[in-house]
Amino acid sequence: MKPAPFEYHAPNTVADAANLLAELGDGAKVLSGGQSLVPMLALRLAVFEHLVDIGRIAELSGIERRNGALWIGAGTTQATVEASALVASEVPLLAVATPLIGHFQIRSRGTLGGSIAHADPAAEYPAVALALDATMEVVSPRGRRTIEARDFFAGLWSTSMEPDELLVGVSFPIWGGRSGFAVEEFARRHGDFAIAGAAIGIELDAVDRIRRCTLGLIGLGSTPERARTVEAELAGRPVTDVEPDEVGRLVMAALPSVPSDLHGSAAYRKRVGAAMVARAWTTAAAEARHG
Amino acid sequence: MGEVSVKLTVNGQPRAATVEPRVTLADFLREQLQLTGTHLGCEHGVCGACTVLVDGAAVRSCLMFAVQADGAEVTTIEGIGSPDGGLSAVQSAFRDCHGLQCGFCTPGFVVSVTAFLRDHPNPTDPEIREALSGNLCRCTGYQGIVNAVQQAAGAARRGELR
Amino acid sequence: MTERAADGGARYAGARVHRVEDDRLLTGRGTFVDDVSLPGMLHACFVRSPIARAAIQRIDTSAALALPGVRFVFTAADLNPGVREQWHTTIGKEMPETPRPPLAEGEVRFVGDPVALVVAESRYLAEDAAELVEVDYEPLPAVVDYTEAEHAKALVHESHGSNVIAQLTTVPASAFDEVFASAAHVASETIYQQAYAPVPIEGRGLVVDYSSVTGDLTIHASTQTPHEVRLFCSRLLGMPEERVRVVTRDTGGGFGQKVMVQRDEMCLMLAGPVVGAPLKWVEDRRENLLAAGKSRQEHAAVKMAFDADGAIQAAYIDFVQDCGAYPTPWPLFPAAAVGTFFPGPYRVPRGGFAVKTLYTNTVGRAPYRGPWQFESLAREVLLDIAARQMHVDPAELRRRNLLRRDELPYKNPNGMNYDNISPLETFEQALAMLDYAKFRAEQAEARSAGRYLGVGLANYVEASTPGYGVYGTEPATIRIAPTGRITVYVAGGSSGNSIETTVVQLTADALGAKIEDVDTVQGDTAVTGFGAGTAGSRSGSMTAGAVRETAAVLRERILAIAAHELGVAIEDIELADSRASVRAKPAVGVSFKDLAALADAPAGLEASARYTANSPSIWVNATHVCTCEVDVATGRVQLLRYIVSEDCGPMINPNVVEGQIAGGTVQGIGGVLFEHLAYDDDGNPVATTFMDYLLPTAAEVPAIEFGHIETPSPGPGGYKGVGEGGAIGAPPAVVNAVADALSPFGVKITRLPLGPSQIVALLDR
Repeated sequence: MKPAPFEYHAPNTVADAANLLAELGDGAKVLSGGQSLVPMLALRLAVFEHLVDIGRIAELSGIERRNGALWIGAGTTQATVEASALVASEVPLLAVATPLIGHFQIRSRGTLGGSIAHADPAAEYPAVALALDATMEVVSPRGRRTIEARDFFAGLWSTSMEPDELLVGVSFPIWGGRSGFAVEEFARRHGDFAIAGAAIGIELDAVDRIRRCTLGLIGLGSTPERARTVEAELAGRPVTDVEPDEVGRLVMAALPSVPSDLHGSAAYRKRVGAAMVARAWTTAAAEARHG
Repeated sequence: MGEVSVKLTVNGQPRAATVEPRVTLADFLREQLQLTGTHLGCEHGVCGACTVLVDGAAVRSCLMFAVQADGAEVTTIEGIGSPDGGLSAVQSAFRDCHGLQCGFCTPGFVVSVTAFLRDHPNPTDPEIREALSGNLCRCTGYQGIVNAVQQAAGAARRGELR
Repeated sequence: MTERAADGGARYAGARVHRVEDDRLLTGRGTFVDDVSLPGMLHACFVRSPIARAAIQRIDTSAALALPGVRFVFTAADLNPGVREQWHTTIGKEMPETPRPPLAEGEVRFVGDPVALVVAESRYLAEDAAELVEVDYEPLPAVVDYTEAEHAKALVHESHGSNVIAQLTTVPASAFDEVFASAAHVASETIYQQAYAPVPIEGRGLVVDYSSVTGDLTIHASTQTPHEVRLFCSRLLGMPEERVRVVTRDTGGGFGQKVMVQRDEMCLMLAGPVVGAPLKWVEDRRENLLAAGKSRQEHAAVKMAFDADGAIQAAYIDFVQDCGAYPTPWPLFPAAAVGTFFPGPYRVPRGGFAVKTLYTNTVGRAPYRGPWQFESLAREVLLDIAARQMHVDPAELRRRNLLRRDELPYKNPNGMNYDNISPLETFEQALAMLDYAKFRAEQAEARSAGRYLGVGLANYVEASTPGYGVYGTEPATIRIAPTGRITVYVAGGSSGNSIETTVVQLTADALGAKIEDVDTVQGDTAVTGFGAGTAGSRSGSMTAGAVRETAAVLRERILAIAAHELGVAIEDIELADSRASVRAKPAVGVSFKDLAALADAPAGLEASARYTANSPSIWVNATHVCTCEVDVATGRVQLLRYIVSEDCGPMINPNVVEGQIAGGTVQGIGGVLFEHLAYDDDGNPVATTFMDYLLPTAAEVPAIEFGHIETPSPGPGGYKGVGEGGAIGAPPAVVNAVADALSPFGVKITRLPLGPSQIVALLDR
């Protein structure tokens, strides 16, 4: 089980990386932490003529406040995100999601940007990015632009980035006020991709009415999903009146199509998804109310 | 698709070599540096038998190309023991607790546990099991391994991990 | 760490001594087959069929051969004619066999079937070349579902004329119609077990090193049976056996999968002498899950009749097994064992069985730890179903039927003659360890709070240490060098089961030596006598016999020389701490080192002997008890406590005993809750990576608690075999625990695996 040959490129700047991607075209693939890409190469499920290793680009790493949001460089490892006090205080949903990614040896190498650009619907970061309305910052030789999360995830393992665009950073909005966050996942074993999961944030007003909530879903579609209609229905209601099981049912009823595989049918995933939504809702609501 | 040169430090020794870019760090260590203690159990990042330390962090050496380790400091199972050839606290604990049978997965467990206890010298039982979940063992049923981590945690708390 | 024996010497048997294997394995200094690197060595990779069944129209190797660094591409036409004989020493030449061409000839019969063998300068290049081998396949109808194989139009092996490999009926089920018709209670179910596999973390592998100058063939092998590999190879190639040497240092797990020589290994043996350099093949994980063999995958219609008091009146099993396209070995005897052992450690006055083995276009069946464990799964699951039907507690139903010591020896209706077992004792010990009554109270309380706890019980008796044919014999050589070092040579085949430590412990005890003076050499056929390796839970008892016989010869010589040297009678000499000394005058003595120098310098003292087993098998029994909680929203099963009480006789090393039980138990847990070597309807395997074939991790398994009852066997030291039992007892215990947890929902479990989606489907039914 050995990868096919490829040409290796290790640019030192974002500009060089973007130029390389433009120059090499379709035969090139960005190598970030490699924790999803290298298995596919080893199994020869994917073959590329060129790998552009962005691991040596210093400007891709970092966690900082920018324009009222928390900016995280695409090359920042998941282990760094996990250990960041800034992430824990400013984007708690990202902090609770991170330990659920694979195993600590995977998080040592796996990067935030790699996970989001890989756009696996069963992965944690794409769902969190979608749930929080994160903004992706991408660079190509044509310049820099931003893509909203809702426009970013285009399909199974595909995004709206152009082939010559490189994801350089992700900005996560910072929620203030009385808010609570939770991620609940159901996986066959500890560290496996989730069969179904939910990433939920709830903000309450002073009298426990839902000011806003976000319902991100993991493993329940060909992209990460979000139950926006249900969010709108719940907004304004007193959180104490909302039955978590009801949220689970509403969210599953609103889902378009759900995948099936060896580990579970679509119906099974919906059942588990409803339970995960209910559990995450319970935890997030309690945190929002009681801090 | 030519070879590229890499320079890195392995178990404290500077090493330089040329290598095809597609060669994984695991194969590079095993084939070119003859450090065969790093084992390959799946080559797709699940079993953990190939775990090594890269700049101190436990990583799957099958999910990394040797060229990506250029400039890095790598520690393999061969570099985990005491410099005098004795066993480290983690290795001794595995021996004391019958934490290995065939020994094939063992290097990956020892390296992973060494990194885990360095960062978490006071783990709870669920934390230990969660930390071990990135390494597969087919012989022991994990009983001796969990016991070994509990024993070695004592050494970690006393700062006697290595 | 050790206790003093009556004769004053250290006694290591029974102690938790450190393993002699550990220092090298813990420091990365073991030698597994992939660690063997020889000058000029070439690397092999198989081209495997992507189709379940197809005719091979054409194979074009030219593009592969044109790739720089590629030396050979072999097809069936190149390798298969080299086969002289192919049969296993442990099975015998006269036994029936299934077809086993090294490379596929004319037709591929499962996804993964080896079609060509590429030899190149590196494994990377060999894989590049394998992609360039063009094979034109004409797909043929495949037999995928074994339950339809018997009546399928398509035949897996046209030459066999049927998809039924072999079948056997001892007594037809109708012979018991009257018993069942008049019984107070009858339980009858069809129980299914899915395919799962041994999955050692190290795959199979060989380095074949042939010298055209001397004609010597050396094979470095990942195997449980180095001597079998040697003899098989010599017959396969028609080479004198003394020209073939097999060397095995460390083997990364086997669990049965590395007992037999399969087609892939045959290809390497055939190609090795042709390629002009040492040739390595190390199976990767995908190959292991595609082609190393499956196990389990079977079902049976089982029924039991009970009288009004719950006493079993009769038990019958009609068993059907999927053997894939190329089973190794011929499957009828292992299948028949499911029938013979079905009555288990219970009082069963009447019974019989029918078994049927079938070909399908899936990977062939291969041995796996507890090859016939289905007998326990079917029986114990049926007993729980019966208890529920009869409104009797499952513990009570078992208690009424378990064999008591005073009934032994006991011959079951299928001819198995149990003795030296303690099923009622292990059962009561395990229940006491759990505090069964207390658990039932907790369970009732949890249920009223909407939580579903369950307890599962399972008893089994297994035949360890086969005493027939070449299994029934094991040699050892012990040498005391003039340096004082003692080396014990045994056949070996350790694949994690600590045989090195075991023979070192036993040799030290048998000679009265210090354990640190004893080394062992194993796994090299050039310096050890034939032994059948690790299989059938035989290593402990058989090597104990070999060491006992050999050490007895050596002791006599030591005593004679020492008596002469010290000027006393032989009866006045005692051996301890690597010294012969005068009884009652411990200061007067002579060290083994000096005795070896006296004996025959520089050769030292040496003896060889062979032990022959005195019984056809050694019975061993155990009880597994586990508790679980089932999350009815998701179907997740969380195991809470896991208790094994076993009777393996005296323990040579409790660490090793418990380690074997724990490892087998977790394999059984994995088999019920996680593992599935699944195929889709077209015969494509869908679990060919560790992302799809789910081995349990430390986070999924509970702490295992051990209880021990000690009934000595009639074998050496009273020891019994304990390697396989965990994998036998665990599956029914786990199934019964889940079924018990879900009993308020009226759920009946008769089909595995029990993944969360299957559990939810049961709840929704």
